[in-house]
Amino acid sequence: MLKGLLWTIKKIYFSHNIVLWMILTVLPVGVSVFMLEMFSSEIVQHVPIGILRQDDSQLSDKLEMALRSSPVLDVKMICLDLSECEHAVIRGDLQTFVVFPYDLERRALRLESPVIPVYSSGQNYLTNMFAMKELRAVVTDVGSKLFTSGFDDPVKTEIHSVGNIEGNYQGFLALGLVSAMFHLAGMLVAVYIASFPLRDQRVREFFKDVEGSWVTLAVASFVPMTIILWLEFMGCYAYTHRMLMPMSLEEFVIVSVAQLLMLLCCLGAGLTFVGVTGVMRIATGVTGVIAGPAFAFAGQTFPVMAMPFAVRCFAFVLPLTHVLYVQSVMLLGPVGLESAWHALKLMSEMALFWMGLGLFAIVHRWKYRLKRASQLPVVAEPKDAAPAVALDVPEVNKEVKA
Amino acid sequence: MIHRLLNVTLTEWKLFVTDPAAVLLLVVAGILYAFYYPTPYMNQTVTRIPAAIVDLDHSAKSRELTRMASATQQIELKSVYNDILEAEQAMAREEIFGFMVVPENMEKDMLSKKPVTLNIFTHGAYVMLHGSIGTAFSTCALTLGAVSKVKAIALSKKVPSAKAMAMRDPMPLSIQTMFNNTGSYSNYVVPSVLVVILQQSLVIGICIMGGARGHRRFRKDSRYSSVENEDMPYRYFGRALAYFLHYCCFILFYHFVIYNIFDFPRRGELLPMMVFAIVFLTSVINFGMCLSQVFLRRESSMQLFLNLSIPILFLANFSWPTYLMPKWMVWLSYILPSTFAVPAWLSIEQMGADIYDVAPKLYLLALQSVFYLILALILTHLRDKSSFKTGDM
Repeated sequence: MLKGLLWTIKKIYFSHNIVLWMILTVLPVGVSVFMLEMFSSEIVQHVPIGILRQDDSQLSDKLEMALRSSPVLDVKMICLDLSECEHAVIRGDLQTFVVFPYDLERRALRLESPVIPVYSSGQNYLTNMFAMKELRAVVTDVGSKLFTSGFDDPVKTEIHSVGNIEGNYQGFLALGLVSAMFHLAGMLVAVYIASFPLRDQRVREFFKDVEGSWVTLAVASFVPMTIILWLEFMGCYAYTHRMLMPMSLEEFVIVSVAQLLMLLCCLGAGLTFVGVTGVMRIATGVTGVIAGPAFAFAGQTFPVMAMPFAVRCFAFVLPLTHVLYVQSVMLLGPVGLESAWHALKLMSEMALFWMGLGLFAIVHRWKYRLKRASQLPVVAEPKDAAPAVALDVPEVNKEVKA
Repeated sequence: MIHRLLNVTLTEWKLFVTDPAAVLLLVVAGILYAFYYPTPYMNQTVTRIPAAIVDLDHSAKSRELTRMASATQQIELKSVYNDILEAEQAMAREEIFGFMVVPENMEKDMLSKKPVTLNIFTHGAYVMLHGSIGTAFSTCALTLGAVSKVKAIALSKKVPSAKAMAMRDPMPLSIQTMFNNTGSYSNYVVPSVLVVILQQSLVIGICIMGGARGHRRFRKDSRYSSVENEDMPYRYFGRALAYFLHYCCFILFYHFVIYNIFDFPRRGELLPMMVFAIVFLTSVINFGMCLSQVFLRRESSMQLFLNLSIPILFLANFSWPTYLMPKWMVWLSYILPSTFAVPAWLSIEQMGADIYDVAPKLYLLALQSVFYLILALILTHLRDKSSFKTGDM
């Protein structure tokens, strides 16, 4: 039995399966590391802005100097007129531009409160948010020194992001993206491994190798991929987490369990798709449709509570939503343990359901294929047989058809 | 000549509408995703985010602050706690997503002109909520501070309150949002995603239809053998024309139907839209034709490309600006049509750019298209001679 198991594992995983190893190891890990590298500058800075100086005074000079010295902003352009700045925004060269209106200094000194218009693209949510905050801070700071430099602000605020002290973008987004990658990879690999015996007509061969035991065949097929993906997922998570607060053992254990449960749910779902469709191409397509945009539904970028009811139901069914929830509550430290525990229980039930359904579906599909294959005559081919016929020879095609 | 070309075009079109996997990608995906992606963001903005205040001061000022916070649009004040731990636990249960701590003796310190710092805590995992909660609480706290400061200025400088207000903030800012006035999240996300959907579904669809002559399933079918044995240029351009016309319909569908249904701004003018459609689709088709020659199995492209959708989207200056990415990544992004197509589409459709505004990006797309055309023709020529062979790729 053990020999058959090991032999089948070798056959499934080490028989020149380039695509399998690409989707099992290279792509999930590679894409996760790639996304982390993308956010390596961690916070938004050097947002390109323009200035339209209608006023040529000392106050305008001061404002311009203050804007130039801000690390968040980068004064890219001094425009001659509004239209120049507007077209630069449309071209994407500028994110926003500030107008220093005519007689700014004179009107400010006369306490007429001249308004400084700021035109922002609004199309890029993140850079827009950071740029506006910084612009407001810079202009307010210069303004406050004009008359009331001796007066400190009586109330100041400090915004802390719990679990992500520096407001690091890797923390905000990359943790979720890594999980989304493995959510997709789990389903894709499950679909590949469950359906390639069907595609290559090797169900009978594998069934013979495991000495007629469906359990052994399922173990040989799906346990190695689950272990490999889980280890990769944990590694990528730990690598991403290095930018945030240090991870406690409790957090690591609980998040790892949640990740394993998510992979089991994905595995079960993948098996179900293959069991129902029976064709690798279509099952992969279905996986793409469901798991491809899962990150948009999981609530990390746009909160689930603000989504329509039907979408919230779909988000609830996705294992990704729950693993992101566990990851996010564990960022808060020990107070998140209780909530994480509830989520783990729910994920266990989901994993049981999907695994049960998936194994039932795939074993039935394999049995059906085995039954059909056993009705066909066995043709022994010599090892040094020539490759399959070239299909661009119509005569041969006709013969093969006949 | 045109008859031969159109014959291949029609055959290719018939093939992909009769192949289930191709239908899923080239027909269903383009339509389904266009409805599927914008649906979570139908409410457009997040308002009334559950938040709380931890009041350690219990003074008139802290109650004023609580009233101000409960009146803001962005947050909904769920509770007023007496202890930080209670608020943390509520945040862990996701009953609230942030809270502000009013420190002990705040009112006393303000009256005795000592600076007071209010700490705002937000959930570290949600970027959007962090910004909204932070802004809402900061505005309340700073307004409270501003009232005190204006009073102090008025008293010390002996000026009326209107003048004191002007002295506190002599140059108020007026922020005008030019193109996404409502701050809608869907206006920001979905248009970029639509372009990536077009690219991904088209590239994978072309690969699913098979690249090398030896791998085209319809060659098995004698009905189409004459078309498949057509001269290489006819075969190549005929197939490309089928995809081009099919995807032109998608661009029109997005422009006239999806943009209307989901109420996205539709400022695109005819000329830039047409030029965009031509250069973008030809670039993607030629890119797909190149890639389709690489794979030995039709589904491999799908398995590999599905993993790449997220990085491809982010490489297109979506969400994370290109100038903050490592240089090698920026260079790498130049191989993808979406890198130039997403900003060009946003400029045209969302911002109403004219042809001159988007010309630099369209030139680059056209250059890409020519490069991939030459590469695809060479690969097609080489692979035409190969016999039918299946492997893992």
